[in-house]
Amino acid sequence: MDEKHLQKTLEEINVPTPDDNVKKRALNLALAEFETVQKKNEKTFQGFSLLSRLIPGSNKNTGRETMKNRKLIYGGMATAMAVVLICGVSVQQFTTGSYKKQQSADETALATLNKAALAPEAKEELFRDRAAQKYTPPLEQHTDQGAVQSDESSAISPPPQPIMPMARTGAPAEMTMMMAESGAAGVSMSYQIPDYEIMPSPGYHEEGRDKFGDFEENIIKTVSTEPVSTFSIDVDTASYSFVRRQINEGVLPPKDAVRIEEMINYFDYDYEPPETKVRPFKPTVTIVPSPWKDGNKLLHIGIKGYDIAPDEKPRSNLVFLLDVSGSMNAQDKLPLLKNSMKLLLETLSPDDTVAIVVYAGAAGTVLEPTKASDKNKILQALDQLSAGGSTAGAEGIRQAYQLAGNNFDKEAVNRVILATDGDFNVGISNPEELKDFVERKRKSGVFLSVLGFGQGNYNDHLMQELAQNGNGVAVYIDSLSEARKVLVEEASATLFPIAKDVKIQIDFNPEMVAEYRLVGYETRHLNREDFNNDAVDAGDIGAGHTVTAIYEITPVGGKRAVEDSRYAVKTEDTKVHTDFSNEYAFLKIRYKLPDEETSNLITTPVTTENERDNLLTNTCSTTEDCVSSANDDVRFSVAVASFGQLLKGSKYSGKLDYDGVIDMAQQARSADEFGYRAEFINLVRLAKSAAALQKN
Amino acid sequence: MNDITLIKRAVKGDKRAFEALLQENYDVMFKMAFKYCGNRQDAEDITQDSCIKLARALASYKFQAAFTSWLYRLVLNCAKDFYRKKKPEAVLNDSHIGAINAEAEIKTYANEILAQVYALPENEKSALILVMSDGYTHAEAAIIMDCKESTVSWYIHEARKKLNILIEKEPHHG
Repeated sequence: MDEKHLQKTLEEINVPTPDDNVKKRALNLALAEFETVQKKNEKTFQGFSLLSRLIPGSNKNTGRETMKNRKLIYGGMATAMAVVLICGVSVQQFTTGSYKKQQSADETALATLNKAALAPEAKEELFRDRAAQKYTPPLEQHTDQGAVQSDESSAISPPPQPIMPMARTGAPAEMTMMMAESGAAGVSMSYQIPDYEIMPSPGYHEEGRDKFGDFEENIIKTVSTEPVSTFSIDVDTASYSFVRRQINEGVLPPKDAVRIEEMINYFDYDYEPPETKVRPFKPTVTIVPSPWKDGNKLLHIGIKGYDIAPDEKPRSNLVFLLDVSGSMNAQDKLPLLKNSMKLLLETLSPDDTVAIVVYAGAAGTVLEPTKASDKNKILQALDQLSAGGSTAGAEGIRQAYQLAGNNFDKEAVNRVILATDGDFNVGISNPEELKDFVERKRKSGVFLSVLGFGQGNYNDHLMQELAQNGNGVAVYIDSLSEARKVLVEEASATLFPIAKDVKIQIDFNPEMVAEYRLVGYETRHLNREDFNNDAVDAGDIGAGHTVTAIYEITPVGGKRAVEDSRYAVKTEDTKVHTDFSNEYAFLKIRYKLPDEETSNLITTPVTTENERDNLLTNTCSTTEDCVSSANDDVRFSVAVASFGQLLKGSKYSGKLDYDGVIDMAQQARSADEFGYRAEFINLVRLAKSAAALQKN
Repeated sequence: MNDITLIKRAVKGDKRAFEALLQENYDVMFKMAFKYCGNRQDAEDITQDSCIKLARALASYKFQAAFTSWLYRLVLNCAKDFYRKKKPEAVLNDSHIGAINAEAEIKTYANEILAQVYALPENEKSALILVMSDGYTHAEAAIIMDCKESTVSWYIHEARKKLNILIEKEPHHG
């Protein structure tokens, strides 16, 4: 070979200009990885590296294929089913046949798809599935050192290129032609993808790193062995917003994200309000037939907190602690947070003070305590915020509390409001230490509330615990309308506590009730002896809050789930006082007024007078009969509880399915001023579709 | 801002600096990758892998070698991994040879030479491209390839030998 020619050829290798879109995508991916690496360096390992999440195969079968399911749902159910079927066929051929055969299977499938004139998204699906098979998922890799020197350490597998949508520029037609030309001869197909979707934006996080504490559903207890049930109330609503968001994206939420009590308590119920501030709430008890198991009943407890009249509202001393780290750089995070804050500003009285502390790479005060009347100054400070840098939450927390402390007003509500997507990395990185800190500060009179934003990196567990330790609520804000609900409509509930350490204890009458099961509140369980112990912390109630708890009970004589022990003492021998013969149970509520340290007690018997014959209205025939139906609030909360149980895959749902939930909720829409109940019904419909897809 | 400053900042966690560094070097990396594999598709993939890899590996750059050399080594490693992962049949079918025709419209003879070059064993191909196409000295190529200078010389020698033999088999080009 001619040396000169070789030299010339090699020197003149014609390198094309890089494609801008491809470059952009590579940069974005690298930046996202960069963030992941930075986070990993700063703290202990907290999840999967970005790469493994981007390779299609690796998150298959996790039940979280957001893109896939969303597309399918929006493409229409019928379409979706067809695609799933066809994919199924070609998958089978692939596993048994050769590479070439797989290609022709592709074509057959695609031809079928074209004939059916399906939505372009459907075709993407096909390729996505194919792509998932072509590439093997890489092994997780954590070596940062010497990555370049050693071949082994550079385990990067090919990027999932074919999964990028190709439908954007009318490509499907061209592509089909290309493939028709290549025929079944097995000429390699080269997809020229005209327009890449820039998938991950900087700071993008695929789902699957959201952290939820895991818990088991409450089990059935027998009254003879455990007659008393105790739990702390929970007015958080974060779970419902998170679940809603996931379902709206076409996936069922992870089971641990579903906390039934938070879903129920998301909605406002029109329970009878208490008259005075001193006895700040009133329980409303109803017993209805259980929709989950014939013969069982539901014991429904609704509590309405005292609502402060506008002129009674105490002054607020608020310090906002805002996360402006790089991960907040997404439309549903920092920008939403800013807008939410602006909404909240509207509800404050001119006398209230607002301060803002931000934390990212470093923590800093961006707004010294400022009167709400000086709105421009506050808005200006808000507008200047931008996301960048890593998260130093703990340092920020110290500063925020310091500001709140400096400006402490005994008469006012002193509260730190933390807004974040959930990561605290620097400073007090130990969650336990952080919780202790918040708890100490709570005792000094500064409370903490948590507003959660975004997803993918959402640390639900820590947020819940922080809010609980800080006597505040944890809410999840996924949209501006949610921000409105929490910060405007329910501002007084969010800001002004009317009672703290609220505990509920139910003492079941063994003569009437054989078994019981508390729906939800798994994470709020208390021991029997904690009820009277004022040192034990529990949940708080804000002004006008409603709290609902539901027990499913099996009356004595009903079909029991748990058998008595052979040696158990027969009930006859321990005959309860006859005066209680119409009492199902005895309800006790303990609470402390916000500025007091000793608890008060509210009690009420649950009797047959509280019983309603029907849960649903359409099961009654005569007017007289219908009077004895449960009211809309009870019905609706039971519908929400049923939905929660279905989402959790509860074994206690019985024959009730999504349609049953929709039917029940339809009969309970009441006034529904803001449309939350209507939205719920839609959500159940979406979940039904998502569940059907997940089964396939 | 020069690369060194950017690297130092990026290693400290400055995302903007890292982004600037990528902006600055993407084209160079793409060029390296393209020369190694000879087709756009693979070059894009390899470059993307390299960018992601850079996010993880940057901290291990110790400012001893020139950054470009270090980067080249990273791209070459990514390229090797890329082909190791790719199915052998896929490599044969749609990788180099066909792609050269479509991508770089160079004349037939050069095309054939390139086809032969791309058929060489990895290290010989890398050495040949580094020295004859990029104009690195054997010593510089050795740094990039993380081997001894004499080894580079040996690779080039072997490559030449193979190319000669292969080409002589085709009397048409003599």
